[in-house]
Amino acid sequence: MIPSLKAVVVTAAAAMLATPTAAFSQGTLQKVRDRGQLVCGVNTGIAGFSAPDDKGNWTGLDVDFCRSVAAAVLKDAGKVKFVPLTAKERFTALQSGEIDLLSRNTTWTMSRDTSAGMTFTGVLYYDGQGFMVKKDLKVAAAKELSGASVCVQTGTTTELNVADYFRRNGLDYKPVVFEKLPETIAAYNAGRCDVFTSDVSQLYGVRLTLGNSEEHVVLPDVISKEPLGPAVRQGDAQWANIVRWVLFAMINAEEAGISSKNVDQMLESTNPDILRLLGKEGEFGKGIGLDNDWALQALKQVGNYGEMFERNVGQGSRLKIGRGLNALWTEGGLQYAPPIR
Amino acid sequence: MARGESDAAREARPGAWRERLASLVFDPRVRGIALQAVLVVAIVAFAYEIVSNVTDNLARQQIASGFGFLERTAGFDISQRLIAYSNTMTYGRAFLVGLTNTLLVAGLGIVLATFIGFAVGIARLSSNAVISSLAAIYIEVLRNIPPLLMLFAIYFAVLKGLPDPRNSVVLPFSSYINVRGLTVPKPLMAPGFDAFAIAVLIGLGLVAALAIWSRRHRLATGRTAPVVPLAVAILLGAPAAAYAVAGMPFTFEAPTLGRFNVTGGLTLLPELVALTTGLTLYTAAFIAENVRSGIEGVPKGQTEAAAALGLSRAQAMRLVIVPQALRIIVPPLTNQYLNLTKNSSLAVAIGYPDLVSVFSGTILNQTNQAIEVILITMAVYLVLSIATSLLMNWFNARMALVER
Amino acid sequence: MRPPGRLSASVDDRPATPTGSLAIELRKVSKWYGDFQVLREVDLEVHRGERIVVCGPSGSGKSTLIRCINRLEEHRSGTIWVEGEELTSDLRRIEKIRSEVGMVFQSFNLFPHLTVLDNLCLAPQWVRRLPRAEAERNALALLARVKISEQAMKYPGQLSGGQQQRAAIARALCMNPRIMLFDEPTSALDPEMVKEVLEVMSELAEQGMTMMVVTHEMGFARAVADRVVFMDEGEIVEDAPPEEFFSNPRSERTRQFLSQILDH
Repeated sequence: MIPSLKAVVVTAAAAMLATPTAAFSQGTLQKVRDRGQLVCGVNTGIAGFSAPDDKGNWTGLDVDFCRSVAAAVLKDAGKVKFVPLTAKERFTALQSGEIDLLSRNTTWTMSRDTSAGMTFTGVLYYDGQGFMVKKDLKVAAAKELSGASVCVQTGTTTELNVADYFRRNGLDYKPVVFEKLPETIAAYNAGRCDVFTSDVSQLYGVRLTLGNSEEHVVLPDVISKEPLGPAVRQGDAQWANIVRWVLFAMINAEEAGISSKNVDQMLESTNPDILRLLGKEGEFGKGIGLDNDWALQALKQVGNYGEMFERNVGQGSRLKIGRGLNALWTEGGLQYAPPIR
Repeated sequence: MARGESDAAREARPGAWRERLASLVFDPRVRGIALQAVLVVAIVAFAYEIVSNVTDNLARQQIASGFGFLERTAGFDISQRLIAYSNTMTYGRAFLVGLTNTLLVAGLGIVLATFIGFAVGIARLSSNAVISSLAAIYIEVLRNIPPLLMLFAIYFAVLKGLPDPRNSVVLPFSSYINVRGLTVPKPLMAPGFDAFAIAVLIGLGLVAALAIWSRRHRLATGRTAPVVPLAVAILLGAPAAAYAVAGMPFTFEAPTLGRFNVTGGLTLLPELVALTTGLTLYTAAFIAENVRSGIEGVPKGQTEAAAALGLSRAQAMRLVIVPQALRIIVPPLTNQYLNLTKNSSLAVAIGYPDLVSVFSGTILNQTNQAIEVILITMAVYLVLSIATSLLMNWFNARMALVER
Repeated sequence: MRPPGRLSASVDDRPATPTGSLAIELRKVSKWYGDFQVLREVDLEVHRGERIVVCGPSGSGKSTLIRCINRLEEHRSGTIWVEGEELTSDLRRIEKIRSEVGMVFQSFNLFPHLTVLDNLCLAPQWVRRLPRAEAERNALALLARVKISEQAMKYPGQLSGGQQQRAAIARALCMNPRIMLFDEPTSALDPEMVKEVLEVMSELAEQGMTMMVVTHEMGFARAVADRVVFMDEGEIVEDAPPEEFFSNPRSERTRQFLSQILDH
């Protein structure tokens, strides 16, 4: 049996045998504190979101978000254990309690939010599915792809989106479905498919790894809404609140101009919004079961949303993806966080 | 108990029932039955506990459960389908597509691996040093490569070796070979097709009967009848005649080279070729070892007796050695067949839409019903395994030697 | 030497044993197992219709000698002619010679997956290409000759050792051989079954079959053999008619062997 199927079976068996009292009554916060470590499920390797470097250090937007939560909860951004998961394994890993937090470019959808035993806590990255093709095919738009072979990774919404897109537009296509990303890309690169489809963020990352990246082009069409966000197990409201408000704090901090570099000066600010965020005023930590410096720690050690974005996928990275939909609402984007009040 | 005592007297004696109860308690048969009953009750209770626990847990975690999802629209496409399927059909239908794809690759693999395995196993015992060392190298190398690695190697070698669609190799009858596979014209059914199909089936039946008759005739009379031309004539003649008589009951849809791909026609996918080749070569190495040890397990005296009677080496092998070796070969052969079937689930790694890829891959992901999907998948493999085992046991029982 | 092609003559019209012509001839035949020399320049002539008993201590090379005659073993040097054909490594010739030379083994070597009748019919059908009906007719006649007609439809595993060995003799005879080789045919049998097998062999001898028998049954040798050959350490030490062999052996080694085997 293939390894990941085995993992699914093992975790499914664990779900069968776990008694309700053992696995789900104790709060995740308590478990993380007792362990002294946050266990975070991430992607096995996707540039800009989560990838280990040659020394085994993980980097990426999803990874940095795990560190922010660890900093807020344990006061140490380093106390995270990263568990690389395939698309297929990720939900079972969360449901069975193997991980505390799923931060793995996962699209927030209704079925996942309501009937997969998990709760999404916000949108870390507004993504959409797109297509990459070889330049010499001279394709300008996705509508021209009738009859094309499409390489797609299984276990993702991508598969369904691409079926919907071609069905909606009355186009033919030939899917070739792989379990893992490396084989999907290798097959595309070997000419097995005309098109590689995935989330646009991923397409840019993959394009860089192809070596001859100039010969490939990401089409302008975005065929789906892919709000990628962190998720937690359903039924633990306190833990969901913590993860949700760490994300909001990151976004609010960018809006308020607080960054990892100026956070100490900002403690002297007279702006009540800033003082509440940094825990100088109010008892907002108590509401989520944390100390009052929860957001301060996360900002100091990891930085605000904008810093995380630019460092991992934006101008500070090789991907050079523009802010686009991920700009703050004040700058024409969608990133908008409720106030801390 | 006193002799001559009547039953009625025994019943009447005080304490007699207790004695009888005691004799029941210490009766090994009664004890055995009682123990089994207790065990069955315990297992049923345990199973009930698990099922209710799972249902509770799933409900508590708000995870959907039940098998209703099989009726819902699948919405995704599958590259290879042996039965009619489109993305507007149900998950249940998609499951059947995956299942038939698994059966196809397992069936092809089993037949091919058996042929290659027997050939290599016999070659391994050849007195020709070159042949036997080639066979030995084949066995040692292929048995020791992880099958997944082999599949990747074969798959990407196949892809690298073939041209892109615009540089397709064009074959006669508008067939094309390229990196997307081999595409041949596809027969389209028209009225009268049934008659044609029946004619073809009758032709095949006739040829099979002819083969059996020819062997019997050979053994009964010592003479060979000229059956090969006759068989060819029937095989080609019957369909041709039926085709003409039934008024050309089908036409061919010729594939054409489109902008991206060859469109239309029937396509043999490179994934199927790579998967079948990989599984076949890998399993054949194990079968060859089984065949070798089976043949070596036949006493040397049998070979000598056959040789002393003037049988050639090939005749001795076919008529004397292999029939006896089969008794030793068949039980491990069953294992190899089961392994091949289970290994076919590696398909998903190289993009072949087998049961695991379609059902416990795509469908599991879209429905999030891991427990149901995995249970069904396991049940399918269990049924396939049991069916194979039963068939092979039956075959083995037929091969058993009659002893005193 | 006989002209080539003689062996291909139909089995039915072969002439009665012409006196003076040789069925088997060995010239300076040697063979080694590794460094151990099992046969040392053996010379032997067997005439048509002659019955030769070969005896000797174990390891003397007597089994190897008769196994060389139908090339179950390959000799290293020297020459062997069987019915005028020289034994070479030519497979086709070997197969032809084997089909003319019947062999009976110590351990019977019947084919356990076939009935006795099928055991007998196999080679005639596949090698001689006889029709099944004719092969069966011959087989049944031979089974009657070895007195196990009623066992025809049984499998070898269902027969006693003596019955199996008689079936094995019948199987060899089915090919209508000119020469029969016996490699210790009674050594694996319980004592009460030895007699029934020897009787069959004696009958065969009476009918004029050329026979070479490796055996320790000295009674059989005395009664049936034309010559007794005694081998020791790969050499033929004594080769004499039985009366001379038993009463007045020339060699000291023969005398020793005879005293050991006859005194018990």
